[in-house]
Amino acid sequence: MVDEALLSVRGISKMYPGTLALDGVDLDIRGGEIHALVGGNGCGKSTLIKILSGVVEADAGEMHIAGHTVEAARIHPRRAYDLGIRVVHQDLAVFPDLSVAENLRLGTDYPATGFGQVRWHELRRGARDAIQKLDIAARPHDLIRDLPVAVRAQIAAARAMRGMDGRNGIIILDEPTASLPRHEVHVLFRAVRRMASEGHAVLFVSHRLDEVLELTQRVTVMRDGRVVSEHSTASLTEQDLIGSILGERSIPERAERVVVGGRSTERDLRPPVLKISDLNAGPLRHVNLELRAGEVVGVAGLLGSGRTELLRALYGDLRKSSGRVELNGRRVAFRDPGQAIAAGVIMVPEDRVNAGIFPDLTVDENMSISVLRKYWRGGWFRRAAIQRDAGVLRKRFRVKTPSGDVAIRSLSGGNQQKVVMGRWLRLDPALLLLDEPTQGVDVGARADIYAAVREATHGGSAALIVTSDLEELAQVVDRAVVLHEGRIVAEVPASELSAQGLNELIYQRGEESHVV
Amino acid sequence: MLSELVEAKNDREAPSRARWSSVNFAEKYGLGGLLVLMILVFGLFAPTSRLFFSPPNIQNILANQSVTGLIALAMVITLVAGYFDISVAAIAGISSVTMASLLATDQVPIGIAMLVAVLLALVAGIVNATLITTLDLDPFIVTLGTYVLINGILLAYTGGRVVQGVPASIGNWGAGQWLGIARPFWLLVLAAAIVWYLLNQTPFGRKLAAIGSNRSAAGLAGIGVKRHVFIAYMLGALVAGVAGVLLTVRSGSADAASAPSFLFPALAAVFLGQTTTKSGYPNVVGAMIGVFFVAIAVNGFTLLGAQNWITQVFNGGVLVLAVAFSKVMVRVRDRNAKKRNGMAT
Repeated sequence: MVDEALLSVRGISKMYPGTLALDGVDLDIRGGEIHALVGGNGCGKSTLIKILSGVVEADAGEMHIAGHTVEAARIHPRRAYDLGIRVVHQDLAVFPDLSVAENLRLGTDYPATGFGQVRWHELRRGARDAIQKLDIAARPHDLIRDLPVAVRAQIAAARAMRGMDGRNGIIILDEPTASLPRHEVHVLFRAVRRMASEGHAVLFVSHRLDEVLELTQRVTVMRDGRVVSEHSTASLTEQDLIGSILGERSIPERAERVVVGGRSTERDLRPPVLKISDLNAGPLRHVNLELRAGEVVGVAGLLGSGRTELLRALYGDLRKSSGRVELNGRRVAFRDPGQAIAAGVIMVPEDRVNAGIFPDLTVDENMSISVLRKYWRGGWFRRAAIQRDAGVLRKRFRVKTPSGDVAIRSLSGGNQQKVVMGRWLRLDPALLLLDEPTQGVDVGARADIYAAVREATHGGSAALIVTSDLEELAQVVDRAVVLHEGRIVAEVPASELSAQGLNELIYQRGEESHVV
Repeated sequence: MLSELVEAKNDREAPSRARWSSVNFAEKYGLGGLLVLMILVFGLFAPTSRLFFSPPNIQNILANQSVTGLIALAMVITLVAGYFDISVAAIAGISSVTMASLLATDQVPIGIAMLVAVLLALVAGIVNATLITTLDLDPFIVTLGTYVLINGILLAYTGGRVVQGVPASIGNWGAGQWLGIARPFWLLVLAAAIVWYLLNQTPFGRKLAAIGSNRSAAGLAGIGVKRHVFIAYMLGALVAGVAGVLLTVRSGSADAASAPSFLFPALAAVFLGQTTTKSGYPNVVGAMIGVFFVAIAVNGFTLLGAQNWITQVFNGGVLVLAVAFSKVMVRVRDRNAKKRNGMAT
């Protein structure tokens, strides 16, 4: 069973006006296998998923699914579903106000009596079976909104197995961990491994390469609409994988970037940009921190450790109950983000879609919202100047867009984030507060974003970066602090930075909280 | 290296952009085109043509729709920020009734009566704004509530009677023309120009649009959301106040029910106007075209012999169709944009 491909894709091509999105893609996934699909934004993997699930029709190619042959140009969602293909999207698509049992059953018919009343008993029993099968820590009558995000993800995965009727299907997980706190990822992984062990084929799509290495058996790498390589995960390192994803444009640049920035001796000579003394705000307790000019400091910590709140408190978005914050030697107390921005403090929020971009406004408008007044002369906007300056910024931050005049909503996540970065960095801020700046962003865009941060700090500002990706944190920052239950429990200089070390510190108990 | 690649790709994509511009064109000028078409049909071909193009009929449409137009403008201001204001029609009622009764029973000078009427409307706007921003209540429900509440208060105040006794000189002004076109219409043109300028050409207006697009992002971008929304409600009430004054001027009297009845024509016009922009956003020019679209259709059908029901059928039908059309166009546009960007996730 395991040797035989449950899903075989041959020669799939898809042409969009102006682009060849997929160019003769072959892919084999075996039953019982967890197979990763990776590649930068725009490599074609989303299009491939859409074709597999029948949402988009291909121009050419064939799919062999569990003994059936389907022309890829003739696929539609119903057919894909009937053949056992299921997609779990990153937004999970669960219904927070309904119970676990109802969530598991929605989309198929509820069991009902002759009068049309729901047979709750049967509904619960079915749910209990599904829960047991994947070993999910929830009860049938629990409401989804009361459950941790990782358990919700498990429910979403379990929901994908509806209507399989004992057959083996193909389950596509599209960035399933994007919305999960880092330490809860293993909870979902357990469910995924269970699915595979039952004989289903799992296609795992993720930007988080460490997860790919941990969870999957094989990796297919796509670039520019083609499959460029297929690896067996066991013999693969993260560096190999990054090299494979990026092609010729690869790692040396990153290494170079790690070297720049402060070593401690020279650091002490620079003026402090930010000085926090005994800050209390929200969950934060007695936080002390100093950032010097040119420094990029990372904040590591679990979800709920107060890392996001630290940035919000500095940005005037969270009231501080006590403590002193100095910016370039002057005491500041921002009551709202507007005051922070005026003083040269900017924040890129964690939730890009809901708090970062203005989806209906154009790319250029999104970039210019921070400097509108500058262009308002004599009662009118100087449109030409807005366009010209935004064009320069688009080039500088490598925003990939047909023009500055399209709604930002139509750009990929990485490009949206570059626009948001451009909006703020054009102000030449003194202090950059970045909350998960590379979430859902591909490797190439990540490098661009951190290059932009370095460019800003070279000019004498300082940056405070929160990210759950410890590997990344260890590579890009000059120094990291670890937050635990609102306190800074450790400070790690560049020379001692490693993902492993940070991970250990993050999970440490609060007892050793006097390192600083 | 990558940037070169990207640029090369952009160049390749450029021609495909032009193809969709015909869709843009149809959308942008579709409503205006339909309006022209309808005028031509009613004016040239239908049995109504003589009546329709008669000067009194045209003057009547232009003057009558000035009040609807002002109320639609009032709605657009808050809607740009994503906030409903149902109550503007009732607020117009406040100023209409206030002005009439000040003039009729209290013999107040005209200028003072107008000023007091508009100020009272402004007070109502401040009440709305306070409830919605400081207490953070749902704007639709709040303004629906104040709409009904104001209706009731007006009814109690007037005792259900028409407030008569407004000096004839005022009515004469309202019936007069300037450059051959009814004076109230010029007032509407002026107000529309001011509101358009405010919403499109000032930082204040662009910030309202940003709030309308994403409120939390606006807050984090340093835009004082509550302050902007508060001011928007005040401006809406101000325009509504002017609409009420105009209504009294036009009719030479006031009653509790007439201003509030402008709610639906104005609402239909605003949503019809949304269909003329890329993102389905409320906008001044569209709303103005919408006002006259609805009015001319109703007028034409009435001349053809349709009864009173045509107004409601048209207002309601247009409202639903307009919302549906906007949504579909935005969806089509998104799909096209995705295709254009190819496989970008």
